[in-house]
Amino acid sequence: MARLRKPIAMTATALAGALLLASCGSSGGGAGDGRTLRLWHYEAPDSAMGIAWNQAIAEFKKTHPGVKVEFEAKGFEQIQKTASMVLNSDGAPDVMEYNKGNATAGLLAKQGLLTDLTPEVTKYGWDKLLSPSVTTTSRYDTAGVMGSGNWYGVPNFGEYAMVYYNKGLFASNGVKVPTTPEEFTAALAAFKAKGITPLADAGAEYPAQQYLYQLALSKADRAWVDAFELYKGKADFHDAAWTYAADTFADWVDKGYIAKTSSGAKAEDAGVSFISGKSPIFFSGSWWYGRFKTENKFAWGTFLWPGSKLTPGSGGNLWVVPKNARNKQLAYDFIDITMKKGIQNALGNNGGIPVAADPAAITDPQSKTLIDDFTTVTAADGLAFYPDWPVPGFYDVLVSAVQKLITGSAEPAAVLDQLQKAYDAGVPTS
Amino acid sequence: MTAARRFPALALIVLGAVLMVLPLLIVLDNAVKSPADYSAHGPLSLPHGIHLDALKDFWNRVDFGRVLLNSVLISGSVAVAGVVLSVLNAYAIGIGRIRGRTWVLAFFVLANVLPQEALVYPLYYLAKQVGLYDTRLSLVIVFSVIQAAFGTYLLSSVLGAFPREIIEAARIDGAGSWQVLWRIVVPVSRPTLGVLLVFFFVWTWNEFLLPLVMLPSNDNQTVSVALGVLQGQRLMDATMTNAAGLLGALPALAFFLVFQRTLTRGIAVGAVR
Repeated sequence: MARLRKPIAMTATALAGALLLASCGSSGGGAGDGRTLRLWHYEAPDSAMGIAWNQAIAEFKKTHPGVKVEFEAKGFEQIQKTASMVLNSDGAPDVMEYNKGNATAGLLAKQGLLTDLTPEVTKYGWDKLLSPSVTTTSRYDTAGVMGSGNWYGVPNFGEYAMVYYNKGLFASNGVKVPTTPEEFTAALAAFKAKGITPLADAGAEYPAQQYLYQLALSKADRAWVDAFELYKGKADFHDAAWTYAADTFADWVDKGYIAKTSSGAKAEDAGVSFISGKSPIFFSGSWWYGRFKTENKFAWGTFLWPGSKLTPGSGGNLWVVPKNARNKQLAYDFIDITMKKGIQNALGNNGGIPVAADPAAITDPQSKTLIDDFTTVTAADGLAFYPDWPVPGFYDVLVSAVQKLITGSAEPAAVLDQLQKAYDAGVPTS
Repeated sequence: MTAARRFPALALIVLGAVLMVLPLLIVLDNAVKSPADYSAHGPLSLPHGIHLDALKDFWNRVDFGRVLLNSVLISGSVAVAGVVLSVLNAYAIGIGRIRGRTWVLAFFVLANVLPQEALVYPLYYLAKQVGLYDTRLSLVIVFSVIQAAFGTYLLSSVLGAFPREIIEAARIDGAGSWQVLWRIVVPVSRPTLGVLLVFFFVWTWNEFLLPLVMLPSNDNQTVSVALGVLQGQRLMDATMTNAAGLLGALPALAFFLVFQRTLTRGIAVGAVR
């Protein structure tokens, strides 16, 4: 009997000893001596942002000899769940990427965990680089509502939703690439007639609600978006835009343009059905661009939703400087480097959407279309953000509402009632 | 005759085993695919060629060796400390029969059913107050207590049914409480303790929320948190997630297999004597 107890006891002693040794060496983070820059972000190393920001780190080291850069790659979930706790401790980094929006950056700003960047923004001239609808997500008022107030973050890239289409499938089925809403519907019908479900969709995640929102946007204007997203006026889900969106979406499901089976699909499934050449059209965000570029084995292109001035999209995630950051000056220097032409051009040439690039330096023709379209949208003040932003928990409401449209278990009017109820319950009353 | 009767049972067991192993096989299948292969043929096709870059990339990206060491340290310490705590508690409750033990047990059950989400903020503030935030020690303490709550509950009822004659015989031979515990109770209940040890290790290994919250810096991260690094905001890297899942599951599986062998051998030896 003692034969087995001994190894266990020995393991225990060894483990306890090792743990004591290990926990002694825990780091308390660098001191505020201007010698270390602690940087966190959550972009994949081979994504456009990952590549460009790595370049920025190298650049920073060159301009700041003797300064150590401690970069930690984080997960999106990790930052999302723990940010308020980490930023409230002495383990806060000097600069980090953070998700934009009222429920994220706005909340942290309201809690006083972020540094007000307004003086730096004017000093470095970042505001002059960014177009107005991109900066909406950088500024938050005292209630944490975006659109006005102090600057708490600086976006380094942009994002928007567009129509991705498979050129090969369009050609082999004799379908013309549409430029008007009528032609778009005609193209959907043409694919359906050939037995192909034209639209890739995912009811369980964000793609389905972005179809719905884009349909509404095609009948809306800026005031409508401001009412819905920024609470400047009343959002009525039974107005012409939402009614058109819900009716059209239900109609497209009926006609088979959107598969009924997509109600349970994830965004990944929809993306893969486009990559594998099953679906000729996928309407989704620019975050797919890099992946399509490396994995699509066919000719493909993009265009903005025909006949719509507005499109879902916004400034990208923000650089924020925590209140407890120790080396704020280094953080500002780093942000400034990422806003410079060199890094911005690198972003553009790797499939990202820079906010301040030199158009002539973007050499890849496909990336040029992507960026030109973004410029078109921002020039027309057309970024309409995302439908789940205005109210906490609205994402899940939208998912369930649109799923009902896909399965046909509720009438469009009833679905809009559900949205109105959730929106009214969650909208800030101030 | 017997073979014929055994056949349906055997078939059921085989079916069950296949169902259990299937997810692991799918993970293995996708871990060795190239991303292009995955996108073109979907998750259920067999790989067109072995592609180990995802495994390698993930290992380097999160410094997996270090993360592994953290997880082993934390889970191992928790397993040992949890079992020791459980034995001490259960000895007092099950054999010592202290007064009010029903209430004490009820308290332990309560501690057990408490959702971890409710513990997050109190633990965060406590750890910050005593300067243990972002240290592995904080997790060891927290999980030793959490696991010991379950261990105490289970062991108390096991020890409650402990043959009193053996204890009384030992007492007549002049053994004190301490000696009864270490010379009689612990050796006899060793198989149970072994099982608890394995459970505590595997449970702690799989913990996600508390390590995520308590260990913000990458140097202290555990395996399950490191797997979360791959969860992008809108995109997922399916092949790399599978590779990471494979790397994350293997150590716990290996630990289980190793200790399972020792355990069954121990039980068998005891039976023959």
